[in-house]
Amino acid sequence: MRAAQESLLAEMRRWGYRHVITPMVENTEVLELGLGAEQRRRLFKFSDTGGEVVALVGERTVPVARLVAGKLRSVPLPLRLCYAGPVLSADARRFHQRRETYQVGAELVGARGATADAEVIALAARCLEAAGLHQYQVDVGHAEFFQGIMDAVKLPDSVKAGVRTALAARDFVALEQLLVQTSLRSAEHDLLLRFPALRGGMEILDAAAGLVRNRRSEWALTELRRVHELLEVHGLGHVVRLDLGAIRDFDYYTGIIFEGYGPEVGRPVAQGGRYDGLLARFGRPAAATGFVVQLDLVWEMLKSGPRPPSLPRLDAAIAWTESGFETALQLGSTLRLFGMRAVVDTQSRDQADGLAWSRAIGAVNLLHCTGKSEVMWTAQRKRPRRLSPDDVAAQLAGGR
Amino acid sequence: MKLSIAIPTGALLPGALKLLSTAGLMRLSAPELGRKLMVERSGVRVILVRPLDVPAYVDHGAADLGIVGKDVLWESDGGHYELVDLRFGACRLVLAVPDASRLNGPETWPPLMRIATKYPRTTSRWFDARGQAVEVVRLHGSVELAPQVGLVDGIVDLTASGRTLQENRLRVAGVLGDSTARLVANQASLKTRTEAVQALVGRLREAVTSAG
Repeated sequence: MRAAQESLLAEMRRWGYRHVITPMVENTEVLELGLGAEQRRRLFKFSDTGGEVVALVGERTVPVARLVAGKLRSVPLPLRLCYAGPVLSADARRFHQRRETYQVGAELVGARGATADAEVIALAARCLEAAGLHQYQVDVGHAEFFQGIMDAVKLPDSVKAGVRTALAARDFVALEQLLVQTSLRSAEHDLLLRFPALRGGMEILDAAAGLVRNRRSEWALTELRRVHELLEVHGLGHVVRLDLGAIRDFDYYTGIIFEGYGPEVGRPVAQGGRYDGLLARFGRPAAATGFVVQLDLVWEMLKSGPRPPSLPRLDAAIAWTESGFETALQLGSTLRLFGMRAVVDTQSRDQADGLAWSRAIGAVNLLHCTGKSEVMWTAQRKRPRRLSPDDVAAQLAGGR
Repeated sequence: MKLSIAIPTGALLPGALKLLSTAGLMRLSAPELGRKLMVERSGVRVILVRPLDVPAYVDHGAADLGIVGKDVLWESDGGHYELVDLRFGACRLVLAVPDASRLNGPETWPPLMRIATKYPRTTSRWFDARGQAVEVVRLHGSVELAPQVGLVDGIVDLTASGRTLQENRLRVAGVLGDSTARLVANQASLKTRTEAVQALVGRLREAVTSAG
């Protein structure tokens, strides 16, 4: 999992994103500035000795926003930042029965427009590839498309609230019941009912454009078209699908939103979008977009993939008898200098015992040191050979 | 690519099998499915699971679609999409009190109600919304017995005909919600295998409409 995290961060660095470290514990007042009621409820909260209520972070976009508006406030925008770390939820249901999960994320703060949106989506896609996922797709939608429909549709406010609740719960049966009760009919009505099916390539933009008659939705469609074009230039046209019915936290996101899906896992492995409202709450108004990758899901996919990653093997197990002890320690240092993983035993053993030990700890080579100038080298499925310590080191290093 | 659909054992099973057959997907008898638990035919896999487990199978992507009572969905939350009201398995979640009880509408409720139920979340949410303090006793079966032995003031339970309630000398004092079978879909299946899933959903939806 560490390796997956490292390859995600490395890809982010290649795109010029600086790794920042944000605290695990934050003042609740600070977090509450940026979180919705539901997210606040899920925080693990406790108080410090001064009686101040603090919380363990449930996501890291808000701490990053605070960093941008605080410590980094004199650094000119746009800022490209990335981070990795655990996030916690007091409600075990949020992360599918886990209270703690790992997220790697990136934020592009201070840039608006389709170019920035496309950059972040392309980065998310390349990150999944860098982590070793080769089968994935990215769904791109727009928060304003839905907001525009809700503005335009002629419904009493109480019904509109119901529509939002039903959509947030992905309950299309309740949605249908709500909309059937109202006598008014419009293109927007039908769009809402077909929400989960509003997916596809560029052609659905044309289809949708024929149905909506409001500025906000039309603007959303224009932006989506532009982002799709840019992603094609990024070389990602084949993994991108447009999803006008994407359902996300509509109070938080203000523009392009997206989710990455891998094979065989029922949840999005990456998600993100534009949130131009957040930074202002911390006193540095700025456009922003970003995403997180759920590291545990990436790991799950890699494990069940065609070539599951194996733990890195030990290159050498170095066993010794009394007279070879010093040689063993020196040989260990030499091998490590060459970048190999070498373990020197803590007790003396004979050759047979040493072989069993090296198998038990999963080493590729057993080096048994019996004297100042003698090492018995047993590679896997090979006959033991007697060599000098320098020759062993040279051969092992050369064979890599 | 193969699609899978989780269907529940118990009261909804006959309706679910009838739906699969009306939609022209496959004819299955309950005993056959009960014996095999998993049947695959013409690219569709049917998995038989316990009613309460359907959301878990769907949320984790072990099944693309699921047939499940709304009453089960009230108690679970996850990323699934609730797509179609399948219109069978109608029943009601009610507050029932002993015939002899003085309890009726909210004005007659004591400061703290004790309620036995298999639906703790829905129950506390319903009472919370009415500003009523409630102590929920979670039971796993024979909920009707609890008020008779003085464990609780009333129960919240499902009823289709009201017979079980009558037999246990209970009467309805409030309705929490109406339930029917629903078709739910996994979030990722809907996104990554849109055409196949939507086609299957369409056939099931048609079968519901044609059945009236």
